[in-house]
Amino acid sequence: MSQVLHDIEKKIIDSLQKKSDQTPEQLSESTELSIDQIRRGIEWLRLKEFAKVNESSRVTISLGKNGIDSFKNGLPERKLMDLIKDGSKSFEQVRETLSGAGFNAAIANAKKNGWVKIEKTDSGSTISTKEKPVETPEEKLISLIADKSIPEEQIENKLALKFLLQRPDYVIQNTEKSKTISLTEKALQIDTSLSDAGAIDVEADAALVYAARTHPLKDTIDEIREIFVKLGFSEIQGTLTQSSFWNFDALFTPQDHPARELQDTFYIENQKSEKHATPTQIKQVSKSHSQNWHYDWKLSESQKMVLRTHTTCVTIKYLAEQKPDEARIFSLGRVFRNEKVSYKHLVEFNQIEGIVIGNNTTLRDLMGIQKEFYKQLGLTKIKFWPTFFPYTEPSLQTMVYNEKLGKWIELFGMGIFRPEVTKPLGIDKPVLAWGGGIERIAMLKYELNDVREFYNNNLNWLRTV
Amino acid sequence: MPVVELNLNRIKKLVSGNVTKKKIIDVLPFLGLDIESQDGDEIRIEYSPNRPDYSTDFGIALGLQGLLAVKKGVQKVNIKKTGKYEINVDSSVNKIRPFVTGIVAKNGTIDDQTIKQLMNMQEDLHFGIGRKRKKSSIGLHDLDKILLPLTYTTTTRDKSFIPLNETKEKSISDILSETDVGQNYGWVLGDSKNVPIIIDSEGNTVSFPPIINAALTTVTTKTKNILVEVTSIEKDAAEDMLSVVSSILQMAGFQIFELKISGGKNSTPKLNERNIIYDPKLTSEILGIEMSPSNMVTCLKKCRLDAIIKGKKITCVIPRYRFDIFGPMDLVEEIALGYGIENLEPKLSPSTTIGQKDNVTIKTSVITKTAVGLGLLEVVNSSLTSKKNLYELTKRDSSQMISVLDSKSQEHTILRDSLLSGLLENLSKNIHETYPQKLFETGVIFTKGKPIGESINLAVVMAHKDTNFSEIKAILQSILRTQFKIECKTKSSSESQELFVKGKYADVYVNEKKIGKIGEISNEILDNFRIRTSVVGFEINLSGLIFD
Repeated sequence: MSQVLHDIEKKIIDSLQKKSDQTPEQLSESTELSIDQIRRGIEWLRLKEFAKVNESSRVTISLGKNGIDSFKNGLPERKLMDLIKDGSKSFEQVRETLSGAGFNAAIANAKKNGWVKIEKTDSGSTISTKEKPVETPEEKLISLIADKSIPEEQIENKLALKFLLQRPDYVIQNTEKSKTISLTEKALQIDTSLSDAGAIDVEADAALVYAARTHPLKDTIDEIREIFVKLGFSEIQGTLTQSSFWNFDALFTPQDHPARELQDTFYIENQKSEKHATPTQIKQVSKSHSQNWHYDWKLSESQKMVLRTHTTCVTIKYLAEQKPDEARIFSLGRVFRNEKVSYKHLVEFNQIEGIVIGNNTTLRDLMGIQKEFYKQLGLTKIKFWPTFFPYTEPSLQTMVYNEKLGKWIELFGMGIFRPEVTKPLGIDKPVLAWGGGIERIAMLKYELNDVREFYNNNLNWLRTV
Repeated sequence: MPVVELNLNRIKKLVSGNVTKKKIIDVLPFLGLDIESQDGDEIRIEYSPNRPDYSTDFGIALGLQGLLAVKKGVQKVNIKKTGKYEINVDSSVNKIRPFVTGIVAKNGTIDDQTIKQLMNMQEDLHFGIGRKRKKSSIGLHDLDKILLPLTYTTTTRDKSFIPLNETKEKSISDILSETDVGQNYGWVLGDSKNVPIIIDSEGNTVSFPPIINAALTTVTTKTKNILVEVTSIEKDAAEDMLSVVSSILQMAGFQIFELKISGGKNSTPKLNERNIIYDPKLTSEILGIEMSPSNMVTCLKKCRLDAIIKGKKITCVIPRYRFDIFGPMDLVEEIALGYGIENLEPKLSPSTTIGQKDNVTIKTSVITKTAVGLGLLEVVNSSLTSKKNLYELTKRDSSQMISVLDSKSQEHTILRDSLLSGLLENLSKNIHETYPQKLFETGVIFTKGKPIGESINLAVVMAHKDTNFSEIKAILQSILRTQFKIECKTKSSSESQELFVKGKYADVYVNEKKIGKIGEISNEILDNFRIRTSVVGFEINLSGLIFD
């Protein structure tokens, strides 16, 4: 494994190779790095298993308040001996100088050391030197400690320490936790001078960045549009709000048909369409309905404005206006259905519809176009089933086999516009029509089970899909 | 799509002949029937609303017999005349529900499954061609409980009888207000004082159309003979419905007898077949296959029609219940079905036209490319949105609001007149995702008027803690400058805009024409959307700027 080391890491390794078991503070001093840099470096090295951190605790001894006084002025018993070195003194005289607890301690220890003799007289006790007071081990220890802090294990005379510890506030025991750093075997082998200067850890994870992109549904729409164009179809556009006339009547949907009801179609409040068709178109469509469906066709019903329920209204209007002899055109865009939103249904989705008019306009040609369309999408296992649409006859639907789901899925529908649709609008030739919802295809492409995902705009999905 | 439940063993028996269950399953789709689900021998079938004869297994069996070549040609409904069965119509029904028709079906056997199928048929007929019973409705009665002749007349709403599935008498007013069918279909009768009723010669109520039958004539598994009555507001519609039922009952093994109808504009139904002359040339013109007229005849017969070659034409005989057939084009489809859709070979003819995208598509995709190049992520929102999101949370003026009627979804009631609110909602739903968040959308917006205006807008929002007016203005200018070389200006707006921070918003102008607005979104609005970072945005009209 190639190992790239940061400058901080290199300096720490260098220092530890010279002297092992350094504390962070010592390393800071030896490497001239800040204590924060040292701490970070140690952490990196530890994760790479280059450094070990040894944590230990040790006890040190330093002088307490009485100890410091004794270091400067002698222990109470030494002060006592100084007082009586020129002859015996009464207890009262001595007590005056050695005030408080010092007096008792001085008498007790001087006696214990065998330095003094005490005589009781009528006027009270007197104290005098018995033996020349030599330096005691405790005094030696106080001098040794002085203003330092000495590790307990370095004190040889444990008994003297014990005595001093028994006396109040002469010595203090401190427990110090300390951390020392040492290198692991493999780190000892590292030659820091060999690492390239400025090299970085190219194997480390980088931060996530997200590409700006087009929406996945738009990508599918564009892909499908491209295929239509490739197949020779030209795009036309129309409005999303349409008169019932073009959305329903012109397509031979009787005015009392369930699809036209409020619960299936979005009607726009307080909107009535005017001048959406020529008087001839209106007259002929009206006649087609009355004759074939046997009811009184009403102009007012056809004037109600709806959100288009399919793109067919755009293509039929184009045909009625342009009456082309030969054409391949398509319309793509949003359509609306007044449905409860669920994982299967949206109130608004995209639909594409192509029509062919002119030569080679048999059902088999239409099937051929379908087959090629699906082939372009990478779907090769297809079959056709009969179906029903109110405005085409004959009508077929394509079934496409989905390998992942292991079943046949219904995709685009197709058919030939009924003469009851085309004749009243002055269209004499057969018109092939085919199309369907785009979200269904996009769901297969992105392996979605819930169609709502396309309109949730969940950034996590959009950024990563 | 309406649904019918089938039992495979039963349908196999109805089809008769030497047919396997698998064969039945395979052929169903080629009748135009979608198998919705299958659980052992029980299958659920979706059928097209134009084929109400498929509302029972009897009708489906009739169709299967044809395609499976067990029986071909029209199944004739033989109506026997006896003169014994009669309905007299009182002219008082003329203003409410003027037409009645009917038939008598005798000597059949009815099991539970048959009752279930007939009930499903009634439901679907009522809903579909009956237009929720308004146009026509049907009643099936046990003939042996009725004292003929019947009278179709009207009565007042205080008239009482024991309705179907009940044991006590109820007045018509109570039936309309208390029962489910009354509440669901009472509207059909409007508020007329009198309502239609069918009574027998003793004055017993048989039916209160189109709402409910009387308990007296309930059809059970003991019923041998059935009387069918259909009432309607159109004579043809009544006979359409009757023809479906007659055909189904005959398939179910009943003998069909005439019910004489007289009075008002009514007459005894004939349920005659009709002829359509078919030009065999149409087959190759429409289907693209070469086929001899005699083969066409075979195909038509497989679809349970009759056909005879007469000179260069084929005379087709269409049974009364196939009122879905309007003319020769419908016969092309029948021929295709008889031929077998699976036998039609797709054919790819070269296109003689060159495909082109619409100008709006081309220009919009240029905008999209530039936006993505500037680091913006594309979102798509519904154009049908809610008042809350579009106006309330953004404190925008709702006086020009465009509503749709009776939406099933509270979130989709208003046509958007702006894209920005949608983008703010997107930011609101993504507050836990990493910032910066930079979004754009192009889409249709609507403006009130006659007709409703539709134009394409572009909106951009950018959300991160350091964003500001300059950043969004730079993006706006870059998008219009790239490829389109359009220079736009931002001019401080005199109009008060609660959406933006005071003093940090502007109108966008191109050649002295106002095309949109831009600014820093105000804290109050951000609070409404629970967004906790700075947001800037703009929205401009692309229609009229880069395309018409």
